Amino acid sequence: MLRRFAISCMVAALALPGAARTRPRYGGTLRVEVEGDPWQRPGGLARGLVLDGLTAMSLDGTARPALAVEWKSENDNHRWQFRLRPGVRFQDGSPLNSSGVVASLTDECGGECPWTAVHAAGSSVVFTSDSSLPNLPELLAGDDYRIALAGAGNPVTAPVGTGPFQFTAFSNGILTLAANDNCWQGRPFLDAIEIRTNRSIQYQWLDLNVGRADLVEVPAEQLRQAHDQRLTVVAAPSVSLLALTVADTGALANPNLRAAIALAVDRGALSNVVFQKQGEITASLLPAEVTGYGFLFPAERDLNKAHELRGGVSPPSITLAAEGGPAMQLAAQRIALNLHDAGFNVQVAASSASQRGDLTLRRLALASNQPQPALESILRAAGLSIPVSESTPEGLYKTEREILDTHTIIPLLYLPRAYAVSGRVRDLRLSLDGTPQLANVSLSDVQPEAAP
Amino acid sequence: MNLRQKLLLLLSLMVALIVAAVAWTVLVRIRQVFEQRDQEETALFVSQFQREFQHRSDEVAAAVDRIAASERMRSMAFQLAQSGDASPFVTEAQALAQDAQLDFLEIIGPDGKIVSSAQWPARFGYFEPIAGADEPTFLKTEDLPEGSTALGLFAFRAVRHSESNAAEPVRLLGGKRLDKSFLAELPIAPGMQAALYRHEDQSPAVTQRGHSGPDSFTFDPTRLLGMAGQVPHADRYEPLIDSAFRTGQQTNSILYLTSRREDSVNATAIPLKSDTGAVLAVLTVAISRNSMVQAQQHIRAIAYGVAAGGILIAILASLWIASRVSSPIEQLAHAAEQVAAGNWETRVTQRGRDEISVLARSFNHMTGELVAQRDRLVQTERVAAWRELARRLAHELKNPLFPLQLTVENLIRARQLSPEEFDEVFRESTHTLSMEIANLKTIVGRFSDFSRMPKPQLERIDAGAAITRVAHLYVGLGNGMPEASEPRSPGPQRIEYSVEIPTSPLWIDADPELLHRALSNLVLNAMDAMPDGGTLTLSAASREGKIEIRVSDTGEGLTPEECERLFTPYYTTKQHGTGLGLAIVQSVVADHNGAIAVESRTGGGATFVITLPRADGSPS
Repeated sequence: MLRRFAISCMVAALALPGAARTRPRYGGTLRVEVEGDPWQRPGGLARGLVLDGLTAMSLDGTARPALAVEWKSENDNHRWQFRLRPGVRFQDGSPLNSSGVVASLTDECGGECPWTAVHAAGSSVVFTSDSSLPNLPELLAGDDYRIALAGAGNPVTAPVGTGPFQFTAFSNGILTLAANDNCWQGRPFLDAIEIRTNRSIQYQWLDLNVGRADLVEVPAEQLRQAHDQRLTVVAAPSVSLLALTVADTGALANPNLRAAIALAVDRGALSNVVFQKQGEITASLLPAEVTGYGFLFPAERDLNKAHELRGGVSPPSITLAAEGGPAMQLAAQRIALNLHDAGFNVQVAASSASQRGDLTLRRLALASNQPQPALESILRAAGLSIPVSESTPEGLYKTEREILDTHTIIPLLYLPRAYAVSGRVRDLRLSLDGTPQLANVSLSDVQPEAAP
Repeated sequence: MNLRQKLLLLLSLMVALIVAAVAWTVLVRIRQVFEQRDQEETALFVSQFQREFQHRSDEVAAAVDRIAASERMRSMAFQLAQSGDASPFVTEAQALAQDAQLDFLEIIGPDGKIVSSAQWPARFGYFEPIAGADEPTFLKTEDLPEGSTALGLFAFRAVRHSESNAAEPVRLLGGKRLDKSFLAELPIAPGMQAALYRHEDQSPAVTQRGHSGPDSFTFDPTRLLGMAGQVPHADRYEPLIDSAFRTGQQTNSILYLTSRREDSVNATAIPLKSDTGAVLAVLTVAISRNSMVQAQQHIRAIAYGVAAGGILIAILASLWIASRVSSPIEQLAHAAEQVAAGNWETRVTQRGRDEISVLARSFNHMTGELVAQRDRLVQTERVAAWRELARRLAHELKNPLFPLQLTVENLIRARQLSPEEFDEVFRESTHTLSMEIANLKTIVGRFSDFSRMPKPQLERIDAGAAITRVAHLYVGLGNGMPEASEPRSPGPQRIEYSVEIPTSPLWIDADPELLHRALSNLVLNAMDAMPDGGTLTLSAASREGKIEIRVSDTGEGLTPEECERLFTPYYTTKQHGTGLGLAIVQSVVADHNGAIAVESRTGGGATFVITLPRADGSPS
């Protein structure tokens, strides 16, 4: 499968031959279509374009400077100080300062901040925590901690940030972002980006084929279909973990029942059929290529042992909720069927992002390719605030084993994130979490005089 | 109840019974006709419904056929056969089912596993039992993801493609859900209601074994669903549905949903069976009888109105007929009463020539004859009375005339005698002549009195006082010597008198002198009746609103013949009587609106009883 993605990436690279031979040109409007809300967290396309974080994730999985130029930790990672980049201005012209950053971070994470306190200290922002935060720079590179100007614009649908694009308008379901000429990273090549929201995949592909869109989404379960249709696909493999989070209260307070559930799920059917062989089966939280010990977590279905663990106990009806679109619903139904085979009575709840059931099927973004921050980000996304201090493979294995033995999170598959692009898109790269980096994209059909 | 009322009642009852019988017969017949029409109409509707149901079955079969024959499906079957990889087609059934407007569609691979399922997409890879392959369409209970089941009309088809040599082809199992939407698509006539009843737990596993579950059938009204949801008054359908479930046969019955007859339906329960014969559900087709019942009620109201009108007219006609029939009879009865009261001149009107007319004519003839006979009798009586009067007058006058004649002849012969002897004879003769002439005058005076009876001058008097007065006159208050006003028969008389009157006054309206005269006559007659002495009793009493005065003697008494003729004028049993005394008494009593009667037997004395009306306002 990895080979298939590698081939896809090569195809994508080969699909932009002209772009590689000429300088990128400024100008033009990129038309993007997405199925959901571009402001949603995590992974909202517009958030990464309008807002920056104190740090950013480099391709090697480590944090790199962004709005903070340098940082240091003290007291065994209980205190962190980030010095802000000087001269940075928000898109409305107001300067970036440490108090604004503190206000933004406080608003963003509300009462669920991983740190205990954050305060401004001159041109620096200081984080203090009761527990050690060894991966705070990587954490701050995540989508949840981007800096917005407090009190300006609509913080949800029209925030003001320091990113390469700024909010211009939203009408008829189309969000328009214009280039931020004063961006600290430099002006992007594109003049504007139009993001058509809430567009079904079918229509996105149709628009791409008829030239009404330049960048559309390709769900994992339709990657093979996209290839069959000879779309130009840019994919980031294994960027999200499909996992089942299990409530350890109520009907599933019994750990044996949770273990039975983990054994009853048929990952092969999910991978091969529901996600059309695009998923990587896993029983561990981190990808095997990152840790190397993935094989130590067996992923095979064992229905007999599940029955044995259930021990004839017939728990009351269990609800299973799924976050996401039709493929997630189908996966949830399949899991419910698997659990029914194991003697559980499972009701699949209607699709709703905010709904949580006894079981919840979720996609957890893998923010880094470094084991320690990656595991911490997955746990944090799953709602488990467990600091990962171990960095050695043995320590990580032990940590992961302890977590998985509680059976409150059951890893199922690693899924790729992919986009299909038109022929006029140049230099499209995906970040580690699969988000397209549109600040560096240019269009091949832009006239020279359109450039500034 | 008189004749007219009896006739009216009889005729009215008879007509009412006839009208009621006719109305009942008509209504029963109309009801039978309506019921028959209703049954025929219901059978027609049910037949149409079943044809339409079959048509829908054919549509399902055709839709599955079209999918099986489609290039898309054939291509899929080919790829499946070639690669054995079913994963690319996991969502295929949903698209195909949507295009074909099917609720259920499952693509089953050559290995018998589900490749794609429209109704339960997650069920890929599971085995699907091959059922109903020999039937064009069949009913089946399908499991759904949410844990429920649905009844569907299914067709099973194999997908053929020329490149495939596999023994086991790809199969399609498609169908439409039998629910309220399916019912809504069926053509429903006005007033018709179709509903579907399903058991709650009818998993395919159960039905495959052919167990329809009749032994454990428990009716749940909430599971009878029509096009608009739950069927109202669903509990009324229980016997019908229960019968269909248990027998597996179509059942028809009239169901009364409420106490009103309009709210009744002609319901048919059609068992829906699986290919194994198990009853999976019951389809009910109910046709409202509202219009029919309303028509019946309308006709019944008209019939009742006509019957009531007929009965009213019949009563009026009966009244007229009874009047016509009874009127002559009533006239005859009235006339008979008149005749009985002495009005013999009464006549009845003769109409027509029927029996009543004959009777009237005979009645008139009879009364005519009676009058004629009475007149003749009166004439005869009058002649007899005159003869009796003449005989009496002759007899009365002859007695004094004979002495007169002898005296005159003595005077004539006395002229031969000496003057002294002549004077002596002359003196005796003139004395005799004077006495006889006085006797003649008395006789003439009594006749004159009878002819000149005065009209009574009424006044309120005490009857007891009147009797006392008479007793004082004749009894002499204890000396036993009567004060006779008439000449009495010679001979010794030892008569005892008795007066019995109550102490309280007995008021009557009477002429005291005439009453005194009448009582005196009766007392004198009683004294005459006891020449050898006896007891004379005078008494008075109040009886039944009247005053009864009794005068009794203990003489020889009277024969029945004498009693009968006693009050006839000039009739007398006495040697020197005129026969006017009791006639005068009767005349006086009659003038006082009273009556007189005699009670007697031979040798037992006689009692004359005068009954007079009590004076108005007097105490009883």
